Amino acid sequence: MRDTETIDATAAVAAVDIAETRAAGGRARRTRLDWRNWVPTAITFAVAALLWQLVAWSNPYVIPTLDAIWANLVANPAMYWVNFLVTLQEVLVGAASGILAGFALAVVMAEFRIVERAVMPLVVVVMVTPIVAIAPALVVAFGFGMMPKYIVTALVVFFPMLVNSLAGLRDADPKALDVLRTLHASRWEIFRDLRFPGCMPYVFAGLRIALPLAVVGAAVAEFVAAGQQAGLGSLVTTSAAQANLPVTWASIALLCLLGVLLVSLLALVRKRVLWWSDGEPVAR
Amino acid sequence: MTGTAFIAPDGGVRVEHVSKSFGPPDARVTVLDDVSLTIGMGEFVSVIGPSGCGKSTLLKVVAGLIEADSGTVTIGGEPVAAAARDKAIGLVPQAPALLPWRTVLDNVRLPLQVNRRANAGRALRDPSELLTSFGLGHAMRKYPGQLSGGMQQRAAIARAFVFDPAIMLMDEPFSALDEMNRDQQRLGLLDFWQSNRKAVMFVTHSVPEAIMLSDRIVVMSAHPGRIATVIDVDLPRPRAEADYATDAFRDLEAVVRGELHRVMEAAHA
Ligand SMILES: Nc1ncnc2c1ncn2[C@@H]1O[C@H](COP(=O)(O)OP(=O)(O)OP(=O)(O)O)[C@@H](O)[C@H]1O
Ligand SMILES: [Mg+2]
Repeated sequence: MRDTETIDATAAVAAVDIAETRAAGGRARRTRLDWRNWVPTAITFAVAALLWQLVAWSNPYVIPTLDAIWANLVANPAMYWVNFLVTLQEVLVGAASGILAGFALAVVMAEFRIVERAVMPLVVVVMVTPIVAIAPALVVAFGFGMMPKYIVTALVVFFPMLVNSLAGLRDADPKALDVLRTLHASRWEIFRDLRFPGCMPYVFAGLRIALPLAVVGAAVAEFVAAGQQAGLGSLVTTSAAQANLPVTWASIALLCLLGVLLVSLLALVRKRVLWWSDGEPVAR
Repeated sequence: MTGTAFIAPDGGVRVEHVSKSFGPPDARVTVLDDVSLTIGMGEFVSVIGPSGCGKSTLLKVVAGLIEADSGTVTIGGEPVAAAARDKAIGLVPQAPALLPWRTVLDNVRLPLQVNRRANAGRALRDPSELLTSFGLGHAMRKYPGQLSGGMQQRAAIARAFVFDPAIMLMDEPFSALDEMNRDQQRLGLLDFWQSNRKAVMFVTHSVPEAIMLSDRIVVMSAHPGRIATVIDVDLPRPRAEADYATDAFRDLEAVVRGELHRVMEAAHA
């Protein structure tokens, strides 16, 4: 079924991701070529696609068929590409700022407990405020340009990065810390040689949560400012308002693809950087 | 055979009337009660005693990781903080605590890379030569996760020797190893130390280990942690595995076990 190619690609990336996570877990005995790795996944996706088609055939006004979605995608590649790039840019700029800011604040909080006590309650207050409610206010404040989208995306990424990085920086091996302290290593040296490399498993666990959230943040921000600017989220709202279901679902599929791409890339980088760590720490 | 009035030459460790308690004011537990102890330059002193008697706490006070409530600790005549600034203290913790993202060689280099100011004018060792003499020449480029527990602990000991500290503090470095491995590591340390004499404070639970390695054995009692007695080990050096079988060794073993027994009895009385 050529029609399900987008979704099949998604399945393949997801399978790679799972294999990657296992490999990073150290004692992976199954290789990626092992049929047990991909056949069950492929079957699940095939069954899901089949069920989708059955529903779509009997209820054409509820969901479009996969072939209709695919046909729409290949008929307007330039339009989808432009919108994909806009959302990608929002995600990359927003996530990068949120990641850096979250990590930087975690470093300051880990080094100076007083900062944590002072700032953490405010951070929590901001984070429990529904992002969907903040987005329209930001649009009013910053207009329909890219800025409110960057801010919303950065905000959703910020918290998981902060919390995970902080946990990682605090989790430095106490015995190694004792060794460095008896050597009278400076704070900077302890950070450079122990806390920073040691917190990476937590940072990657945080990224694993943050990157999919970044796509959510960008899409939500676009919903609010729909119609003014391009982007896959805007495309979803405008086309849904016109009951143009193939466009809606093609945009949703591309948003999904974007998330899968980011997570797969992350898994690859993680394997390079964190080969020494066995398994992810428990994300808090 | 006993006596606490050992006068340390200036290079060693001098612990005087150290007390330490933990916990909130209404439920304070005295862990160290008026502990005095000296370790001369090039002297190997073991600390042995029941679990929880404060051995690790004493070692951490000497390392400058815990501040005593009262009493003083000097190393080479200066306070602990000054000694740490001069990188005069080598610490071997109970677990190897190697950094898993560094090779064994880079782990041993670590002490040379921090607090570099203190590197000037001392006999720093070549990390790879040192590792070779610890029998880890073939494993230098490996990562700690690829090494056995015994090899990791040897690397941790090499890490403590590499910057040529005046004193060495070891907290049960072999306790996580199985008995055969432990014996091998202990003889390896004995060999190395006999040709690289340092002041060593060595916490252990093993009576034969304490006798084989030490010049003196400090027996501690618990609740509160006090020095019950100090036993001189007058076996000639250099020592080797064959010494385990000598009458003198067995006699000493009986003496140390007797003292430990008395300490335990007193605790239960
Ligand atoms: N930071 C701390 N806070 C409160 N109590 C502590 C602290 N550190 C140690 N203690 C208590 O002090 C006592 C002595 O601990 P320590 O670790 O020095 O004993 P130890 O002789 O090394 O025991 P072991 O042989 O089991 O290693 C124990 O009862 C322990 O619970
Ligand atoms: Mg202990």
